[in-house]
Amino acid sequence: MEKEANNEIIEINDLYLNFYTYEGIVKALDGVSLKIKKGEILGIVGETGCGKSVTSLSILKIVVPPGKIESGKVIFNIKGKSYNILDLNEPTMTRVRGRYISMIFQEPRAALNPVYSVGDQIGEVFYLHRKEEIINAVIEQLKTDIEKTVGFKRRICRLYLSLYEKMLQNPKSLKVRLALKIPILRRFQNRMKTEVRNRAIELLRLLRIPDPARVVDMYPHELSGGMAQRCVIAMALVANPILLIADEPTTSLDVTVQAQILILMKELQKELGSAILYVTHDLGVVAEVCDRVAVMYAGNVVEIADVMTLFKEPAHPYTQGLLASIPRPGKPFTSIPGIVPSLINPPKGCRFNDRCKYAMDVCRNKKPALLDIGEGHYVACHLHGGQ
Amino acid sequence: MGLREYIIRRLILLIPVALGVVILIFSLLQLVPPERRVLLYLSGNPRELNPEIIKAYIHMYGLDQPVWTQFAIWLDQLIHGNLGYSEYFQELVLQGLLKRAPATLEIVLYAAPIIILVGIWAGVNAAVRRDKPFDHASRVLSVLGTSLPSFFFGILLSAIFIATLKWTGPGRLTFRIESEISSLARTGQWYTYTNLMTLDCLLNGRFDFFLDALKHLVLPVTVLVLINTATLVRVARSSMLESLSKTYIIAAKAKGLSQKEVVYKHARRNALIPVVTLAGLIVGGMMTGLVITETVFLFPGLGNWAATAAQHFDIPVVAAYAMFSAIVFVLANLIVDILYAYIDPRIRLG
Amino acid sequence: MKLPERLEPTIKEIKFILKRFKDSPLSIAGILIVLAFVVIAVFAPLLAPPQVYNPYLIPSDPELGYKIEPSPPSPKHPFGTTRLQLDVYYGCIWGTRWAFQIALEVIIIVVIIGVALGVISGYYGGIIDEIIMRFTDIILAFPGLILSMCLVAVLTRSGWLTIDAVLLSIIIIGWPGYTRLIRGEVLRVKTEDYIEAARASGASDLRIMFRHILPNTIYSLIIVASLDFGGIVLTAAALSFLGLGAPAGFADWGRLIYDSMQFVAGGLKWWWVYTYPGVFIVLFVLGWSLLGDALRDVLDPLYRRK
Repeated sequence: MEKEANNEIIEINDLYLNFYTYEGIVKALDGVSLKIKKGEILGIVGETGCGKSVTSLSILKIVVPPGKIESGKVIFNIKGKSYNILDLNEPTMTRVRGRYISMIFQEPRAALNPVYSVGDQIGEVFYLHRKEEIINAVIEQLKTDIEKTVGFKRRICRLYLSLYEKMLQNPKSLKVRLALKIPILRRFQNRMKTEVRNRAIELLRLLRIPDPARVVDMYPHELSGGMAQRCVIAMALVANPILLIADEPTTSLDVTVQAQILILMKELQKELGSAILYVTHDLGVVAEVCDRVAVMYAGNVVEIADVMTLFKEPAHPYTQGLLASIPRPGKPFTSIPGIVPSLINPPKGCRFNDRCKYAMDVCRNKKPALLDIGEGHYVACHLHGGQ
Repeated sequence: MGLREYIIRRLILLIPVALGVVILIFSLLQLVPPERRVLLYLSGNPRELNPEIIKAYIHMYGLDQPVWTQFAIWLDQLIHGNLGYSEYFQELVLQGLLKRAPATLEIVLYAAPIIILVGIWAGVNAAVRRDKPFDHASRVLSVLGTSLPSFFFGILLSAIFIATLKWTGPGRLTFRIESEISSLARTGQWYTYTNLMTLDCLLNGRFDFFLDALKHLVLPVTVLVLINTATLVRVARSSMLESLSKTYIIAAKAKGLSQKEVVYKHARRNALIPVVTLAGLIVGGMMTGLVITETVFLFPGLGNWAATAAQHFDIPVVAAYAMFSAIVFVLANLIVDILYAYIDPRIRLG
Repeated sequence: MKLPERLEPTIKEIKFILKRFKDSPLSIAGILIVLAFVVIAVFAPLLAPPQVYNPYLIPSDPELGYKIEPSPPSPKHPFGTTRLQLDVYYGCIWGTRWAFQIALEVIIIVVIIGVALGVISGYYGGIIDEIIMRFTDIILAFPGLILSMCLVAVLTRSGWLTIDAVLLSIIIIGWPGYTRLIRGEVLRVKTEDYIEAARASGASDLRIMFRHILPNTIYSLIIVASLDFGGIVLTAAALSFLGLGAPAGFADWGRLIYDSMQFVAGGLKWWWVYTYPGVFIVLFVLGWSLLGDALRDVLDPLYRRK
């Protein structure tokens, strides 16, 4: 039991989330439970509006009004300790976001701020989460410079060195704050800026961006979709996060670029060992990348299994329908009858009951629990283990 | 580079509009009988204006010639800075304009920064605190600002602060101080550096005069600020709300930036882009507002000058002020375009 | 359920609009204020019976003598009297009717010009569009009130009645905005598929404009016109305040305030002479701007669902 707890970095327990809209209360998440293990790629699949993006944003505790988390827990295990993310305050969360858990988005160009250059936006993450490391590097440089230079230059280096050391010990000290305000002294930061820029270029190179030294000064509107997505990934990887949330990262890209990004992400995952939560509606991508898959429908997780099991023996009628509706040559085109229910007035019992061909009386009255039907294969359906 | 070409292109586009403004005013003036239009051409004080002399002038300035010749003559006059003669003020229009411009400039120099800073600050904060008391308060104030006519507001203020509380007075200075200054000037103890009263008082080392000049500015500036800030607040608020709903804001949060950094670094800069376009509008609003405000507070600036002239149908002054404000308005829009390009890399580089 | 099915969306829409109005106290306030002014304007002859053949001339009270100094509010003159014992209450009531008259005349003419030129400009494009647009550019290069002031001065100088000059000048500064609005809408609608379809099926230009394009622009026209309604009255009042509007003794809010300027020196002693007409203007403009906002919230698809 203890060993298992160590192995899971995120445990979402019974998460309820509503949107308070003009039309009514949208019950967007209805008791979602999920576990993400260290170093795995977990896929979340489902149709648009099934709550998969909201789930991923809840992990970062970024829920935009009119959305509101009603109840539930998001347990975050790190360095042998567990925290409930939903109980952490904002200042603590700012140290978690981007540092331990980071995120990449569906529309890369929308996720980049149009008025700042790529380098600025990547650099920002360095300043946020790896500042000490950078200052240390600069201090090392200055120390060697002091030995090499003489006279006035050496004195400037000494002054800068003292400022940087102060910054490391006590970033809010008067000396540093003054130095940041006074025009000439402000130049001492240049070394840090150069260091950050070089690291950003390095990172872009790691993401196989051609001519990174040029790209670093470009603005988002000058980049192609694929390039922009690589920059967003670069931004997310700055601090080597434990978990990377990818919210449909390839949906808006061309098919060929999609493949490149997928391969890149898989490689980086192997290299860095981060876990990835991969949100998508594309079953093909899931089969390609993921280790395990969670299927969501109308705010519920209906099935969790590893990829092979899910594709071979889907247990939930919705998953079966989803898999059957993948177009294949030579097979008649099928689809799930009916439409996704309104989440303002969701069906009672199992939310899938009005579209399910196996629906029984119990399905219309009682919500099925997510049960283990063997070897980590969970399903929420009265057909399975309905005793 | 792109930016310089952009500016040059904008400057070239300015010429037809400026020409259009001049043509419009010229065609308007055609409605005025030539006997009165003559005043627009005079370049000095006519001692006497009897029908004989007027007839001579009409011939001299080609007012009996075809329209396009008249236009050419008038344009030539304009280019040489001759705006005609004001019968009511008994002075050349250009002189009158230059004489009164500093007073107006002074009001504008105080009002404009307040309008811009307060407007953006209130709009941004109202958006950040959406549906909180601050938002409601700023909304009420901005609705009030748009529906409160400046003349009524000005009258209320002067009835309360000038007539009842005697806290300040109309005009630019208290009469006593004004005469003291002119006597000081006669003896060479007062030097006029800039014609901006508050600045001159300080440069002459008279802090008491400075306070008096400042007091006289408070009410006109208040009126201008209230009526011009309203629209700015509204636009800044909705622009900020839009900016706050963008994906890059969520992305910035996901990076680990605090709410404050997200709002002030990422959202505000983007929100300011559409707000900048309003600056042109505000300049227009100021030119209009000045006419009313200066009239209410008897402030001896351009607006008061134009309003008095209009009341006495002193056409050369009115026409000059209309052209002047149009040119200022157009120039302001040009500056706005350049600022826009500066803030938004999509224009600067695209 | 008994209603014909095709009416259902309309009813749903009306319900939605009513609910939207109901949920916003500011919208309700706007509607109530405007309604109150409509009532005042319509029943002006009952509220303040005219005493001379021209109802817009404010009667003065001979019992108070023809002294300059205003008399305070009394049962006979609820808002007091202003210069020469003119009744402020009468001026405010008939001033309401006058405000509606100015605003309606200007709006109707400006909308007609704007729609005609805007449709022509947007639909045909090319050189006509270019000419019309440059023309609007030039007028929009002036701050509105200043051009209007200049126009009134020149027109009065060349023999026009001031009141007519004021109307014409507000129309002249008003039409470019509407022309641009309609042109923009036409350009937007023109590229929609259904216009292409109508053209492909052989509809004439006129038919396309009136059947397909204009109905699509009507909402934005209503919104802008209602937001503009108060603005027009405000401009007219400002001109009056500068002494360029209605003549002395005329029931015009701006004129009443202009007349009260000489009493401001008395401080709050004669507060009623400027306060009542001022409050009327403020409420009128406020009511229309709230109503315009409310209409925009309801009619404009961009603002509808937020």
